[in-house]
Amino acid sequence: MERNYIIAGIGGQGSIKISHMIAEAAIRAHGDQYRARVGETFGAAQRGGAVASHVRIGEGVYSPLLGKGTADLVLALEPLEGLRVGLPYLSANGIAIVNTVKQEPVDVKIGGTLRYPAVDDIILALAAIGTRVVAFDGSALAAEAGSAKVLSAVMLGAAFASGLLPFEEEIILAVLKENVPESSIESNLEAFRLGKEAYFTATEA
Amino acid sequence: MQKILQQGGVRDLLMGNEAIARGAVEAGVQLVAAYPGTPSSEITEVLMQASREAGFYVEWSTNEKVSFEVAAGASLLGGRTLVAMKNAGLNVAMDTFMTLPYGGVKGGLVVVVADDPDAHYSSNEQDTRFAAAYAEIPCFEPENQQEAKDMTREAFALSERLSLPVFLRSVSRISHASGDVLFGDIRAEKNALAFNKHYQMGYRWNVYGPPGAVYKHQWLHSVLPKARELAETSLFNTLEKPAGAKIGILATGLGGAYAREAAARLGILGEVAFLKLGFIYPLPEQLVAEFAAGLDQILMVEEGDPVIEQMVRSFLKDAAPQVRILGKAYGNLFPPYGELNTDIVAAAFAPVFGKEIKPDPKASIRADKQALVIPRSSTLCAGCSHLGTYSALKAALAKYPDDAVHIINGDIGCYEQGGYGVFATGDPASNEESKGYVAATPYDMLDTIYVMGAGISMAHGQSKIGYAGGKLVAVCGDSTFFHAILPALMNVVYNDSDITFIIMDNRWTCMTGHQPNPNTGVNAFGEDYPRADIPAIVKAMGVGFVEECDSYDREAATDSLYRALEHKGPSVVIMTGECQLQKQRRTKKSLAKTYVSLNDCDGCRTCALLGCPGVKYNPDEKKSGIDSVLCVDCGLCAQVCPQNAIKVRRR
Repeated sequence: MERNYIIAGIGGQGSIKISHMIAEAAIRAHGDQYRARVGETFGAAQRGGAVASHVRIGEGVYSPLLGKGTADLVLALEPLEGLRVGLPYLSANGIAIVNTVKQEPVDVKIGGTLRYPAVDDIILALAAIGTRVVAFDGSALAAEAGSAKVLSAVMLGAAFASGLLPFEEEIILAVLKENVPESSIESNLEAFRLGKEAYFTATEA
Repeated sequence: MQKILQQGGVRDLLMGNEAIARGAVEAGVQLVAAYPGTPSSEITEVLMQASREAGFYVEWSTNEKVSFEVAAGASLLGGRTLVAMKNAGLNVAMDTFMTLPYGGVKGGLVVVVADDPDAHYSSNEQDTRFAAAYAEIPCFEPENQQEAKDMTREAFALSERLSLPVFLRSVSRISHASGDVLFGDIRAEKNALAFNKHYQMGYRWNVYGPPGAVYKHQWLHSVLPKARELAETSLFNTLEKPAGAKIGILATGLGGAYAREAAARLGILGEVAFLKLGFIYPLPEQLVAEFAAGLDQILMVEEGDPVIEQMVRSFLKDAAPQVRILGKAYGNLFPPYGELNTDIVAAAFAPVFGKEIKPDPKASIRADKQALVIPRSSTLCAGCSHLGTYSALKAALAKYPDDAVHIINGDIGCYEQGGYGVFATGDPASNEESKGYVAATPYDMLDTIYVMGAGISMAHGQSKIGYAGGKLVAVCGDSTFFHAILPALMNVVYNDSDITFIIMDNRWTCMTGHQPNPNTGVNAFGEDYPRADIPAIVKAMGVGFVEECDSYDREAATDSLYRALEHKGPSVVIMTGECQLQKQRRTKKSLAKTYVSLNDCDGCRTCALLGCPGVKYNPDEKKSGIDSVLCVDCGLCAQVCPQNAIKVRRR
């Protein structure tokens, strides 16, 4: 067994946290059998930079980075960042889950000639590479669950619903509870549930 | 309980830096000192969080040399000490680092240096394994987080066994990557402290006078063969040699992970000889000779420079002259810059083994769609005080003739964003292309950025050689001020140059994750502590022009900076404004009240060119807008708007 995921977003959205929760749950479920690796980028993350977290689980896993074209799942908290890593890394057999809410880079905001690509074009591009793209407004679901801060739990729920994460729901829910402030456990669990639901009801490309 | 204090036997996900910290806890570390530096800072951060519960001392020192000396002094008493820094930090500590091994240490002293192949967070890619060999001390290089922990623990024991500091060389992809780690037991007892003036001989050992450096260098060389002997049998070095193998892979540290995966991908694992080195210096020569015997070719896989490749080459010239060695120095297996990964290693191995990499069926789609990807430049944060400083500096410099070529010398910290530009010209932009600068954003301010503290002395040199083409300016942050500026500023005063020096005081060491420093007003544990008085220090050094100014008062800041530029001789302006991330964390911001009155906005873009992520210009409607989630109501954009179109909503 080997599974490869990339969680993409911008600094502050929680992509690193999601990657750690997935790896922690995998160790809890299969620690004596599978190795777990997370390769992450920090540094510019705090200032709204692009963040891509590589997660690898399996027997023959040594390196913290995925090979190009090997991502079983690209989980995008932001569409442009999903495209940035999806193009080189999404496997021809992989799926992409995309939060459709865009966060414009400063390069666009200052009003030069650069334009943010149409989100529909991003979805079509990913669909041309992988087998499936599931896209939905994850930020609205986060707000519905209680706060913009639980977007990561929404996306984690959707990732779990894909069936690509190698552990039972109760394990990831336990890890989720341990990784969020006590006061927001309820909204995180609700966000996870809404994300799971969205995976099955969202428009697909 | 802190994650790194869990009992032995637990298996948990640890970041490489946490794993190093856990290794130190298992070894019973007694003192830790460091200056923050990405990607090494978390080692000290997590040890600090654990320190009170676990009973050891941790400090943020003012620079790496200071931290190294703190650890060295404690080690001479027999205590177990650790000092952690980034690649460039070792350059600062180099003076003491090179001299301490002469005569060695008593308690285990572990020097952790996190290198940065591919320069993700650094101004160079220097390979500090050279420095371990230069100082002639043993060096470990972990392949993964488990080894990072195990090696740190072992390094303390080795240090005491050899009476030498032990070097642990990490890289970004170890320190900032995470992996599953099986915890070992924690050594409960602490080393006793004592100072023996007559240690090793009948007179004082820890002075550099008689019997002299040569005598101690001779002592060092009496210890090194013991170190090499231990490397020969170290469990961190493993040799697999299938019968009949003609090609061998020699990988060190993280290179071992990439080489193993690449070999598996090509289906050659089990056919090639494989030597993985983790205890890399002194080179275990007998083990290398055993590996090389009967081989035709050796493929060297190491992150960084061809450090081990050159050692192996020079040793095997006599021991196994038949072997052809391919690496970074010779044979062009890999370029001697950038970092490796499994794809790169597999591609380099494939032709050697007559294999082909499977073609990617989606290659043309991936290439075609690349045109959709636009860059995302890193920026200063919404409402950052540096935006105000750069905006005011631009306005002050605009008072001089257009043909003047002012030179703004930068430094290392968040404000270095002022030299990175944004992608915003009319040309098609992509990640790979160089950046096109739009004049008038704060991201094209800085003309030089090298290392901490360099800008001020560069400006001084530019002044003293007689540059007259424009104003000479340098900037630094408050943490840099204590790290590297004090001697440089004293030099500027003593040798009297005509420069303007701006201290961008945002109270925290932000770039590396908001560590406190002497200017913060809290100690390492967040408890109140008196702030150092930067203006008083500058005045005491004899600077003739010193002003302190609020970064968010643009008019006053512009005037103050202009006065400083006009002043003949050294001038210093301290621009204040606390880091907005830290401030917002305390004050729990709701949605911003700042807004653009669309009737008044004439679409001039002046506010957008402030470079604040909270301001957004809509080119279709030719109007500006405020992102009320990001905006912190700092008021800078309202101050620069010529139409007074940016207002604050009253609630």
